[in-house]
Amino acid sequence: MQSDIRKWFMKKHDKGNGNAAKPEKPNTATSQPETSPPAAASPDKPVHESGEGSGRRKTSKYFATDSQKPKDEKEIECTPAKRKTEKSREELNCDVKPPSAKRVHKGDEDEDFVLPSLKKNSAKDTPTKKLKSGSGKGIAQKSVDSDESDEEVPDDKTVKSPFKAAGRGAGGRGAAAAPAGGRGRGGGRGGFMNFGERKDPPHKGEKEIPEGAPDCLAGLTFVISGTLDSLEREEAEDLIKRHGGRVTGSVSKKTNYLLADEDIGGRKSTKAKELGTAFLTEDGLFDLIRASKPAKPPVREEPKKKTADKAVESLPKRSPKKVERKDQGGSALARKVGPTNSASGVSLAKQNGQTVGHSLTWTEKYRPKLPNDIIGNQSLVKQLHDWLANWNEQFLHTAKKGKGKKQNDGGAKKAVLISGTPGIGKTTSAKVVSQMLGFQAIEVNASDNRGKADAKIFKGIGGSTANSVKELVSNEALSANLDRSKHSKTVLIMDEVDGMSAGDRGGVADLIASIKISKIPIICICNDRYSQKLKSLVNYCLVLTFRKPTKQQMAKRLLQIANNEGLQVNEIALEELAERVNGDMRMALNQLQYMSLSMSVIKYDDIRNRLLNSAKDEDISPFTAVDKLFGFNGGKLRMDERIDLSMSDPDLVPLIIQENYINYVPSFAGKDDNGIKRMNLLARAAESIADGDIINVQIRRYRQWQLSQTSSFASCIIPAALLHGRRETLEQGERNFNRFGGWLGKNSTVGKNLRLLEDVHAHLLASREYNSDRETLRVDYFTLLLKRLTEPLQTLSKDEAVQNVVELMDAYSINQDDFDTIVELSKFQGHRNPLDGIPPAVKAALTKAYKQGSSLRVVRSADLITLPGIKKAPKKRVAAMLEPVEDTLAEEDDDALAESEEENSSDTEDMENIDKQLKMDFQSNSSKGIQVKLDLKNTGNSNAKKTPANNSKESSQSGQKKGGRGSGAAAKRKR
Amino acid sequence: MLWVDKYRPKSLDKMLVHEEVAKNLKKLVTEQDCPHLLFYGPSGSGKKTLIMAVLRQMFGAGAEKVKLENKTWKINAGSRTIDLELTMLSSTHHVELNPSDAGFQDRYIVQEIIKEMAKNRPIDTKGKKGYKVLVLNEVDKLSREAQHSLRRTMEKYSASCRLILCCNSSSKVTEAVRSRCLNVRINAPKEDEIISVLEFIGKKEGLQLPPGFAARIAAQSNRSLRRAILSFETCRVQQYPFTNNQVILPMDWEQYISEIASDIMQEQSPKRLFLVRGKLYELLINCIPPVIILKRLLSELLKKLDAELKHEVCHWAAYYEHRMRLGQKAIFHIEAFVAKFMSIYKAFLIATFG
Repeated sequence: MQSDIRKWFMKKHDKGNGNAAKPEKPNTATSQPETSPPAAASPDKPVHESGEGSGRRKTSKYFATDSQKPKDEKEIECTPAKRKTEKSREELNCDVKPPSAKRVHKGDEDEDFVLPSLKKNSAKDTPTKKLKSGSGKGIAQKSVDSDESDEEVPDDKTVKSPFKAAGRGAGGRGAAAAPAGGRGRGGGRGGFMNFGERKDPPHKGEKEIPEGAPDCLAGLTFVISGTLDSLEREEAEDLIKRHGGRVTGSVSKKTNYLLADEDIGGRKSTKAKELGTAFLTEDGLFDLIRASKPAKPPVREEPKKKTADKAVESLPKRSPKKVERKDQGGSALARKVGPTNSASGVSLAKQNGQTVGHSLTWTEKYRPKLPNDIIGNQSLVKQLHDWLANWNEQFLHTAKKGKGKKQNDGGAKKAVLISGTPGIGKTTSAKVVSQMLGFQAIEVNASDNRGKADAKIFKGIGGSTANSVKELVSNEALSANLDRSKHSKTVLIMDEVDGMSAGDRGGVADLIASIKISKIPIICICNDRYSQKLKSLVNYCLVLTFRKPTKQQMAKRLLQIANNEGLQVNEIALEELAERVNGDMRMALNQLQYMSLSMSVIKYDDIRNRLLNSAKDEDISPFTAVDKLFGFNGGKLRMDERIDLSMSDPDLVPLIIQENYINYVPSFAGKDDNGIKRMNLLARAAESIADGDIINVQIRRYRQWQLSQTSSFASCIIPAALLHGRRETLEQGERNFNRFGGWLGKNSTVGKNLRLLEDVHAHLLASREYNSDRETLRVDYFTLLLKRLTEPLQTLSKDEAVQNVVELMDAYSINQDDFDTIVELSKFQGHRNPLDGIPPAVKAALTKAYKQGSSLRVVRSADLITLPGIKKAPKKRVAAMLEPVEDTLAEEDDDALAESEEENSSDTEDMENIDKQLKMDFQSNSSKGIQVKLDLKNTGNSNAKKTPANNSKESSQSGQKKGGRGSGAAAKRKR
Repeated sequence: MLWVDKYRPKSLDKMLVHEEVAKNLKKLVTEQDCPHLLFYGPSGSGKKTLIMAVLRQMFGAGAEKVKLENKTWKINAGSRTIDLELTMLSSTHHVELNPSDAGFQDRYIVQEIIKEMAKNRPIDTKGKKGYKVLVLNEVDKLSREAQHSLRRTMEKYSASCRLILCCNSSSKVTEAVRSRCLNVRINAPKEDEIISVLEFIGKKEGLQLPPGFAARIAAQSNRSLRRAILSFETCRVQQYPFTNNQVILPMDWEQYISEIASDIMQEQSPKRLFLVRGKLYELLINCIPPVIILKRLLSELLKKLDAELKHEVCHWAAYYEHRMRLGQKAIFHIEAFVAKFMSIYKAFLIATFG
């Protein structure tokens, strides 16, 4: 099957060659890569000389397309000396300029795009001069390479430093490229999004990724399908883009190749077959790239003199030049501009730089002047334009002329609310449009105080902006009314309305009021129209939601600007930039300007590297983090990546790890017949997780936040490092995904149960029969209590059982909730439910009996009684009071209670009522067994409106207790 | 009413065990001035009973008229105010509370609340005693800071207030506090003492005790009188005419732990570890204190273990218990112990049986 596909691929591929006329030479090379050495020899040879070593090759290739190209060529074609004039001119420039260049550089120009080249010229000149005698062009080129490698720091000195440094520089660059690639592989952005959908490439990272001419894939469009052999999809995309190709999501007629290593028969491949698109394997892609450029890293020193010359002669005719021509076809303009700029541009740049470039940032400099310049959202801009153009007619004239016909357009709003992400030109559009229509724009933004206008100062005498806004809005009414003829039209732009906060009290409300009375159009601008603050404002405004411009649109505009500034960038790179900044034009321009400071030629890779950091700041869900840490490749992650992952949510990740670490079969253990290795690793991991817990206590309790990394190390990284590997299921029917950390739920259940237990404990304490602590209650008492409470119900006859149980409950003042708690806390998974075997009739009888008894029951429980009529729970809760057996002591007790109650809340009348009531109760109630009757019912009645729960009147005489109990339960529920 | 509470001696004269201690205490109290007291000893030995009896001796029946209060205290701790909720049992003469309930904020209880209560002289109607009594439970669970603040209070307000401290282990009470109290060690009652108590109860309840039955209960009670009486009554509920070979059931949770232990011994695998985790959670949810779980688990495991592994396993249990006290999430530590045990035991099994 596989081979079949391959064959098919090959056939298609050949066909593709026929179709795609352009990259002939590469194609010939690909179709018979190593089989025909003679054929390959000729392209190979020049390759040897033109650039050696992959790193150097790359740079030299860059070189070929860069603005230095002329120079390169110039050097290369030294012998032919075709462009002698130009060369001499340039050399002249170089010779003359260095000092000035340096000066200019020190002046920190904004647009020193000429500078690097200048300097390079000068720098190069010196070495070439020195070298001309000794070595040949090859070495001269080497020095050029060093230039390139040092392009970030265009410092003359480094360039002038000896060759070895240069060589090393090139090597260093090569080395630097590798980790970058590695990063792409490991933490490829978006990679996690597709986790589970796509497998890892089978031979990941095993193949050497070829270097090719930078634009060898220019004009080609690729679609990637399925899993590739060695590259992650992102890497492949990257590779293609780096070489000037385009990657799209779906197959269309324009697609040149479908990149796939296996035929998964998906939609893409069927479509491609339909359209006859060529299939390309990953190897094919590599060959394609490789063919565009010297394949082997040859020996360096050998081809020095004549070979070098020869090569130089042959080289220009061959691929590089052709490629250049080809791709420069696309950006011919840029290319043309390039040389002229660098030749004549020194003076020009100086002027430019000194006059314009100084003061303005590009974002200001290239701010659109006309509505048509605005990128994207054209229809919205048009809408804005129409609205503003019709504003006066709509609101002023109708208002003036007949009142009956006021606002013929019902949907018309007096203000506009523009919303959209930053940097997509909201403010700009507002300004440009109003400017075009001849309105005078007054901008009020977050830098001004926009609080509610002081109502007392009428018509804005005060200095605050708010007042002046009011003044403006209403004054315009005046002016509009008085001299219409003048047409001094004004528009108010309220920028950043969602930023109206703390200082701007009543800002939005005031703004709405202003809109209502306004005689001038108001344009409000915000970032998030769904913001809570703007909810009311939205009703008064016509809402225009700006969208992000597409990357193509942005790239187009960016290219214009880059060309204006003499910056050499290709469109693919700019598209990448547009994508990276997430549609923020302003940010794109800022980035571009910043990059222009250090380089005059911007490649795809530069943008990638520079903006890598911003791409990295994506949210990683804790699950993804755990997946990554525990995954097969978990062992290959760098330490900082692991820390990043585990710190992505320092609370949740450890919990998820703890929940799931048992499920992983560590690849670390290797062959492990009896599982002892895994068990040992588990024990170590468990200990480490426990360590994490201890450290966490230190962090939280003693605020040792510097330990947070140690904590994530102990609780996440070590367990993951020990156990990463395959996940297996431990339970039948479990899905093979990481579970959410169970600790949180269990902990909250524990907390709830502890509270319930505390309630039972309090009741038992209040019964005065019990005096131990909570722990003892659960550990020692519960077994027996449960037995005493449930066993009779199962064995004895109904009446007897109920009586028995109720007696016990009364003795310990256990109420029905407590009963449930006791049963609940004694349930064990896999054990018999203690309530099993109790007939429902008995249960019902028990409830009934208990409730009946409640009329006679004293307030035994310390249920914290909410005092009716007092909204807030009293600080000191009134507790029930237990009556001693001796009658004589009743008085004393009574006093004590009254005393304490008065103490508690003597300031409320209700309390006094209660006190009186209590005393009365005590006096009337001299019987021995019955103790205090807290007549809460009465107080409840006195406040019946407020506490409807208490107004069961029929029980007011006998069921006093019940009332108290009810409210007690309510109190508990509240808790 | 349960027998434990029904037959709890109410006065110092009626003590069945610790008669000597009771006699001394009575003397101490009747001779007017009573120092601060620190009762310590294992649970189920009768500390609380003694304390209640002492209070009764001091204040008469008034000490038994307790009410339960749940108070919220506002405490000014520097920059912020803290709300503390505390349950206390109080009579006119004494207040009983459990300061360690407040967790790591127990310091404030000692500093503010206890101090405040200690400051106020009781309004003593009968003029019997010029002081009131504060009973503090579980003093050994107080944090170090709280104990430090306690010692100053003890000295400063000793004129108006006596403290009675109660704890299991005096080693966790600081030297300073201990030296300010009269330490009263309450031993766990001996087995024959327990037997005599059980027989006393049996006689009062009119039960026929088969010979040796009480001894069996006593042996299983781990010398905790409370537990002995409770399981005595459990047996009574279970089956009355006692038979000589009647099984004395352990507590429900003990039963569960021994199931866990046999699970662990049967198989040592990740799957089993996962199962055990679930069961441990079950215990924790039922409010069994983690320390007790670990202790019980160890003793269950030791029962079935070969002698040569016992040392090592005990070492690890102690190791993880210590760490559990340092940490917060008990389950992690118990699970780590189980994992460790599994790995040790598995290695041992492989080494012995291949």
